[in-house]
Amino acid sequence: MLDGVRSSRRIGAFTLIALGTLVTKFGTSPRVIRPRAQYEILRAGVNVLPIVCFLGMALGVVIVGQTVLLLVQVGQTKLMGPLMVTVVVRELAPLTAAMVVLARVGTAAVTELGTARAVGEVEALEALGIDPIHYLVVPRLIGFTVSIVCLTVYMILSALVAGYAVAFFRGLSMGPMEFFQVVADALSWVDFPLLALKTLAFGVLTSMIICYHGLADPLRLEDIGRATTRTVARTLIASLLVDALFLPVYLLL
Amino acid sequence: MSDVTVVHSRSPRLPLVSGVNWEVLSGECWVVTGLQGSGKTALLETAAGLQPYLQGQVQVFGTHVQGAGGDELLRIRRRIGLVFDGHGRLFGAETVFENVALPLCYHGNKSLEDVFEEVTSFLKLLGLDGLSNQTAGRIARPWAHRVALARALILRPELLLVDNPLSALDATHVRWWRTFLMRLLEGHPAFGGKPMTLVLATDEPRPLLGIGRKFAVTHDGKWRCFGTRAEFEHCDDPDLRELLDGMD
Repeated sequence: MLDGVRSSRRIGAFTLIALGTLVTKFGTSPRVIRPRAQYEILRAGVNVLPIVCFLGMALGVVIVGQTVLLLVQVGQTKLMGPLMVTVVVRELAPLTAAMVVLARVGTAAVTELGTARAVGEVEALEALGIDPIHYLVVPRLIGFTVSIVCLTVYMILSALVAGYAVAFFRGLSMGPMEFFQVVADALSWVDFPLLALKTLAFGVLTSMIICYHGLADPLRLEDIGRATTRTVARTLIASLLVDALFLPVYLLL
Repeated sequence: MSDVTVVHSRSPRLPLVSGVNWEVLSGECWVVTGLQGSGKTALLETAAGLQPYLQGQVQVFGTHVQGAGGDELLRIRRRIGLVFDGHGRLFGAETVFENVALPLCYHGNKSLEDVFEEVTSFLKLLGLDGLSNQTAGRIARPWAHRVALARALILRPELLLVDNPLSALDATHVRWWRTFLMRLLEGHPAFGGKPMTLVLATDEPRPLLGIGRKFAVTHDGKWRCFGTRAEFEHCDDPDLRELLDGMD
């Protein structure tokens, strides 16, 4: 517990440093940093898109499709919209997108950064007058955050489309436009900025925990495996805690 | 450096060399020798502002390192070229070209295409043109050390710190390094013809006796400077005699 609190403080400080570097060095060496950020978006976003769409469809079939049919059976179709919004849009999609990025790219990033730290590449960057946070962390911060925000949208769409398809083929007597209208009516205007804020928070959190465990600990090569495991556990816990912070806001809606 | 205590890089409270009083003037060539683990590498990294020290003051190009802000420190480091020991701490996943081009691209806000001509001719100058597209992590150690030198020199630094330049090299590479370092000291045309200030840390000083102008020794936690080669070779301190004789 105490170790968790200590780590949270360190990760918090690391996050502030990274965000500060992002702001103060925003226009520094864009021709070097921009391609690196684009590469991270490609790696954590574009390349992960097929997995996210597949998972979204799976979630749609399992949760959306079956839930919709159950609601139809008990005559509570008016709850369809609020349930889709609450379960898929507000909770499952942002969290699942963040976890997919963590599993698919985050573990590799911890290994890359940890190896760079252990073999002295970080000191080499400093010796060349290059800020390691600017060069190594900022592109990943931008890449992972943009990816998680965008992948969340794709996951929501995949889940709703797949869920509707399953429900329709099992007897739902509702056209696609009508179904999506029901979902849209259940959305509040506040859902959009809150979703953006939540996915941004997940993106920043995931990238910062990954980069912290890769860089900030004095790692030897043999510590990298443990750092990877710790990253996954801590990101999961932190994401659930952040998710819980948004709950009171949603309950007030 | 004024009365500095150099510490171990991984244990900042563990002193390695104490009482370091050292002034490096422009155009000088220092050879710093000592046994392995005596603090030579830590000394170079402290001089480059890469690691903290326990006491005293380190001033580089007129700026106190300890109180300098992050950006100021990065600016100072651009004027220093540091060649690390071993594989040179190259970025293993990138090519030789990308390793050497990185400081140029970052500080000049240029793309790899923009610096292609300049980096290619620089690699040719150092005999590395054949390795340009090779992944840095896969090239042999002697060539990796030379690539590290190229990366350290690409920004035309005023001060070059080299850790063990001749370590584990065959005769061909030793000859190349001695010739190149000599040209840097005398004023290489590729670097404006001005003599470069060199600090060479080495476990074995004999191959560098002809290049060094001033000498220093780290031994048993202590630091000792010698003005000339003659003073260094003929010192009568028993501990240092034991060290130097042991190197024969």
